[in-house]
Amino acid sequence: MSASAASPIRFERVEKRYGRHEVLAGVSLDLAPRMRLGLIGPAASGKSVMCKLACGLEAPDRGRIEVLGTDITGKREHELGALRRRIGMLFQNYALFDFLTVEQNVAFPLEQRGGPSGDKLTAAQIAERVAERLRAVGLAGSERKLTAELSGGMKKRVGIARATVIDAELVIYDEPSAGLDPVTTQKIYDLLAADQARTGAAVLAVSSDVVALAQFVDEIAFLYRGHIIYRGPAATIADAPDPIVRQFVRGELTGPMDDLPPQREGA
Amino acid sequence: MSEERRDDAEAPEAERAFTSLPPAPRPRIPPVTTAKAPESTRRGLVASVGASTVQIAQEVGGIVVLTAQVLRALVPPRIDHRELLKNLYKMGNRSVPIVVLTAFFAGGLMTLQTGPFVKKFGATGLAGWGAGYAVLREIGPILISLMFSGRVGANNTAELATMTVTEQLDGLRALAIDPVRFLVVPRVIAMMVMLVALTVIGDLVALLGASVVGRIMLGIEWSSMYYSFADNLKPFDFLHGIYKSIAFGAAIAMSSCYFGVTVRGGAVGVGRAVNAAVVAAAVSIMLLDFFLTYLTG
Amino acid sequence: MKAWISSVGASAIAYASAAGDLWRVYVGTIAGIVRSFSREHRRNRPRGELARQLHNVGNRSLVFIVVTLGFIGMVMTYQGCLQLGRVTGDYSQVGQQFLRLLVSDFGPTLTALMLATRVGAGIAAEIGSMKVTEQIDALRMSGVLPIDYLIVPRFLACLVMTLLLTVVGGTVMYVAGGLTAHYSFGVNLNTFYDISQVRPRHLVMMVVKAVSYGAAIPVVAGFCGLRARGSSEGVGWATTAAVIGSSFAVIVLDFIISAGALFLTGGDL
Repeated sequence: MSASAASPIRFERVEKRYGRHEVLAGVSLDLAPRMRLGLIGPAASGKSVMCKLACGLEAPDRGRIEVLGTDITGKREHELGALRRRIGMLFQNYALFDFLTVEQNVAFPLEQRGGPSGDKLTAAQIAERVAERLRAVGLAGSERKLTAELSGGMKKRVGIARATVIDAELVIYDEPSAGLDPVTTQKIYDLLAADQARTGAAVLAVSSDVVALAQFVDEIAFLYRGHIIYRGPAATIADAPDPIVRQFVRGELTGPMDDLPPQREGA
Repeated sequence: MSEERRDDAEAPEAERAFTSLPPAPRPRIPPVTTAKAPESTRRGLVASVGASTVQIAQEVGGIVVLTAQVLRALVPPRIDHRELLKNLYKMGNRSVPIVVLTAFFAGGLMTLQTGPFVKKFGATGLAGWGAGYAVLREIGPILISLMFSGRVGANNTAELATMTVTEQLDGLRALAIDPVRFLVVPRVIAMMVMLVALTVIGDLVALLGASVVGRIMLGIEWSSMYYSFADNLKPFDFLHGIYKSIAFGAAIAMSSCYFGVTVRGGAVGVGRAVNAAVVAAAVSIMLLDFFLTYLTG
Repeated sequence: MKAWISSVGASAIAYASAAGDLWRVYVGTIAGIVRSFSREHRRNRPRGELARQLHNVGNRSLVFIVVTLGFIGMVMTYQGCLQLGRVTGDYSQVGQQFLRLLVSDFGPTLTALMLATRVGAGIAAEIGSMKVTEQIDALRMSGVLPIDYLIVPRFLACLVMTLLLTVVGGTVMYVAGGLTAHYSFGVNLNTFYDISQVRPRHLVMMVVKAVSYGAAIPVVAGFCGLRARGSSEGVGWATTAAVIGSSFAVIVLDFIISAGALFLTGGDL
């Protein structure tokens, strides 16, 4: 496929500000096909904003964004639909549809996208795929529950099932392990790794939990004050040459990033 | 943390399936169904009427209890002055533009309705009489109260509801501060005072709107409109609207505070609480209007 | 003074851009209705959604509309008779004039004001909480246009139901008003329920008003919901704005349509 030759995500000097708060000040980022890239950084550094920019959910103020070989800068909402259906996304707060049951939530992207050639899938095909995904995340038996009846960990797993149900070419995970205990976190990452190995999708994973993330991704980029200040292999992140990254990863209280910017909710 | 404990307690079978990943037995899954029918169509008619009756009774009872608590808190009248002043300013100031605009249009509309008579019979005296009565006694107080309920009442519900879902009320209780005395009482007083004040302003603006529209659309002279008001309207017509607005203010305040402090369930709950508060306020305005009109003529 | 001017300027810009957004939502809704006829987009619509919204807007507002409009009908005839009694004592015109006003103005407008409160707030609360919990973004990620998916069915439902509820509410008002006039002022029921004064143009006016209100309420409320930001507080703000915005839209539309009708008919309404 031609898309696999192009870069799954390419940011070129992207700038984004909310009011007076400059979130991204010229970020450039390139993701190779089949690569798993982790994105870390302090709270409110703009990690989630980058996830949303990569799907066109937010528009950059300046710069250029290319996703799956398509330039999405300045595209209108209805032009992005076809592209977005090739991307899987796990939202930070799950974003499950509260008017649908668990299985309807997972089936939703499939129903909207249809089969690989754009034709409508039969109900049986969808049901089979949904059941397979729910088994994979360990939620077989909860199909008919409404999402309000689920705990946080279960919601996250439904979100993962929904993000991976379409065999997307690019999957974006915004905080796949936030609020989960270490054992569940490990299981989630094993699941994500198995899934990526099967589909060969490119992955962008955002997390503040560096240790667990480092075992899952190939490379880690560090976002700090609107710039990617470091990018390197995940295995050696704790010994990164940049003192800021080292301080963040090791959780040291004193160091070059003493003066953290004021934290903002949801950024 | 508590969410995780719930996870284990509620879904052991899901956890087990999760640990035994990837191989798992293949359960038979029925096809994906569309969204469920609304609850009330699935229940019988009698059951749903009964359920909503119980719910309405519960809400009315809750409002009565809250009213009693507010009255009790007023017995030695210790009101937090800063909170009261803050709310008076906020509620009055914020709603002046919308009340003035609404009143102006409402006055104009009433003149428009007399238009056919004025045009047909040249009865300019009728315009001020009809519009003036309608505005002072009914349309003015009702429309201004509905707008006040939408602006201030709904806003107040949203504010209290947000405080409730973010557990700020529990925080106050932990500090041994009575939330009714500290939060609800000043808001109730502020809303009642401000609605009366806004009705006075609104009545005047509505009469102005009636005159302006009469001049522009129907060609009624300013002076004949003025004399039409002066000859036909009595101070009692004005007072009739004012004491209605006192009752409306109390109704708006109590329903908006009640739904604010009893909210449950995050952002969805806040939206629902605001919705319920404005609906309850609208119903009580109409009911009170009816009874007050009958009682006082 | 300078700060005051700049703050007025800032809010003027904010209002202008909000008006632009509102217009885009409206255009998007119309475009969404057109799109929904195409085969390609049909599968994207949730099945049974329109029926559910019709039920939600119509059936679930019925009791509310009947109660509020019934009481206000009683109050209006009561006040009208009271005034007439003081001046002329002739009640023979009350029913005819009440019906004329009811059909051409009070029926649709009061129904719509009540619906703006109940339905407008409901739409904004629903869509607003979907917005702040990122469900709107999740819809967009599946290539669904939120306006098509959420606002179009509510728009169609409001359009139909405002008209139907206007008829129901108007009837209730008329009946309640007649009974009040009869029992409180001794007006003959046959004299009151005299429909000879209603002309086709009054009915046209009723339909025009009801349809305009029905189109305005869901668009204004949906727009407020889509603009919600933050968390629970944002939903509260959105709901408040929806109540005020859609009520005010009803009043302004009423004024424009009434004035236009008076102008067109030359006062012979």
